[in-house]
Amino acid sequence: MSKPFFTVYCLIIYAFLLAPIAVVVIASFNAGAFLTFPPQGLSFRWYLVFFNNEVFMRAIRTSLWIAAMTTVISGIIGTMAAMFYVTHAGKLKETVRVAMLAPLLLPEVLTAISLLFFVYSVGLGTQNLVGMIVGHVLITLPFVFINVSASMESYDPAWSLAAQSLGAGRFTRFRRIMLPLIKPGVIGGCLFAFIISFDVFTISFMLKGVGMSTLPIQLFDYLRTNFTPEAAAVSTCSIVLTMAVVVISEKVLGLRIHRF
Amino acid sequence: MTEVSIEKLTKDYGQGPAVNSISIRIAEGEFISLLGPSGCGKTTTLKMIAGFEDATAGAIRFDGRDVVHVPVEKRDIGMVFQNYALFPHMTVEKNLAFGLEMRKIPKDEIRTRIAKVLDMVQLTGYSERYPRQLSGGQQQRVALARALVIEPKILLLDEPLANLDAKLREEMRVFIRDLQRRVGITTVYVTHDQAEAMTMSDRVVVMFGGRIAQIGTPSEIYERPANLEVAEFVGQVNIIRGKVGNRIVSTAFGDVPVSGDFADGAELMLALRPEALELLPIHSGATGAPAKVLSSYYSGSLVDYRLELAGGAVVNVQTFPRTRFADGDQVLVHAPAERFWPLGTVA
Repeated sequence: MSKPFFTVYCLIIYAFLLAPIAVVVIASFNAGAFLTFPPQGLSFRWYLVFFNNEVFMRAIRTSLWIAAMTTVISGIIGTMAAMFYVTHAGKLKETVRVAMLAPLLLPEVLTAISLLFFVYSVGLGTQNLVGMIVGHVLITLPFVFINVSASMESYDPAWSLAAQSLGAGRFTRFRRIMLPLIKPGVIGGCLFAFIISFDVFTISFMLKGVGMSTLPIQLFDYLRTNFTPEAAAVSTCSIVLTMAVVVISEKVLGLRIHRF
Repeated sequence: MTEVSIEKLTKDYGQGPAVNSISIRIAEGEFISLLGPSGCGKTTTLKMIAGFEDATAGAIRFDGRDVVHVPVEKRDIGMVFQNYALFPHMTVEKNLAFGLEMRKIPKDEIRTRIAKVLDMVQLTGYSERYPRQLSGGQQQRVALARALVIEPKILLLDEPLANLDAKLREEMRVFIRDLQRRVGITTVYVTHDQAEAMTMSDRVVVMFGGRIAQIGTPSEIYERPANLEVAEFVGQVNIIRGKVGNRIVSTAFGDVPVSGDFADGAELMLALRPEALELLPIHSGATGAPAKVLSSYYSGSLVDYRLELAGGAVVNVQTFPRTRFADGDQVLVHAPAERFWPLGTVA
């Protein structure tokens, strides 16, 4: 493929992928009363409506809280699972991998229904967030696991042995040697976990308590009866929010990869 | 300085012992090599001394104290790994500081000790580099410095020269040996390269199949090998067979007196190193066995010949290329009787 042709080809792909997002963002600045494209005049009016809409604000807070909890729990369990998988699983390696990836292979709605049965049969119910977070952790775990185990593959176990010979105990070896070297995988996995948890609908819908809702559920609910640009404003804010999480964690925690 | 004593050390992974009841006493400041083919148990032994492997049975004593149940991080060892295992996310300085920080040594002392050890391994000025910015030989020296800067009781090296090219390997041999002498640290060096073991060690431990075949100085191992396996593993060797009669073995090279208790009539194997033989022109009138040159390999400072004796036996001879013989030449081979070493009777 010649170079200018390849460039055009890439631009078309990008346009195809990004156009819907651009449409939503532009539509959110619509001054009119209905969700239309192109917008009829520009204004921040629907953002004001959205920010003053306590139902949406509560849904966003719930979603952020659940996503944060999910990221932490999934990050810890997924990293531990990846460490076990790469260094200790031995003959069980393939079994562990399939088990860890199983939530990806099952239809989400089946996972959601079985979880619903599960939380009621163990007496948890859906009136607290525990069942919901368990569900979110379950479906985000494979992403943490895949990312961390990929960066573990280039981790030389001799580094841990060397640290041990220099007097470092188990926890120091993890914190000072292994964690910095697998950090890109851990952060990448956690970002996936956060974004997926923030975005997931089916699981949240099944496991939510009465009167509780996450942003995707609230948005869906809203769009059933309304068709104002407020929905676009909500979507734009959630896009900006997820991008902010990615950018901030990249800047603060660093995704710089150590080349060996 | 630390004296290390290994007593009846055994490791069994469940399919028969990988290391079978070995005992070694390593004197303070001694440089010991564990030499043997792969799978002989030398690396397992080193890992047990380091603490990376549990011992199935036996004791490892540092200055009389059994350390078998002391975890690696408390054992106070310095270890150099085959691939160096430098921490890739840390500069040379941070790599060197790591072990000292673990020992809670004050910052300014860390700085002076790092400067000292960098000077020792001739890498002053490299402290801000990352391992990937260093050559193989430099990484090797950082690994040595990192192991030594903590002033461990014992230095352990696991085939540290295996990944270097031939010329650098020879330089590093001398470098490591000099450094070890200056520091005076008790050292255990694992290698499958007999030349490395011979040139660097005070004593060599030759291992086969999880057992010690022989412990001795390099010249003892080379000149008086304990058995056929050792003789063949360490350098080239000609095996000459002959029957004992009245403490004398008659060979193609003449009668060889043997010490030791060998029954009359027993068939004996004698080791004869290629460089112990001397080649003379056939008409020189000297004593020796007549032979024909089959082939010769010239390598500058030395020539290797393959010769066929009158009886059909083939011997290898290594000489200085002062007098050259061509393939097919008839020569006389002279072997001084004192250069034969009995390896035992033929099984």
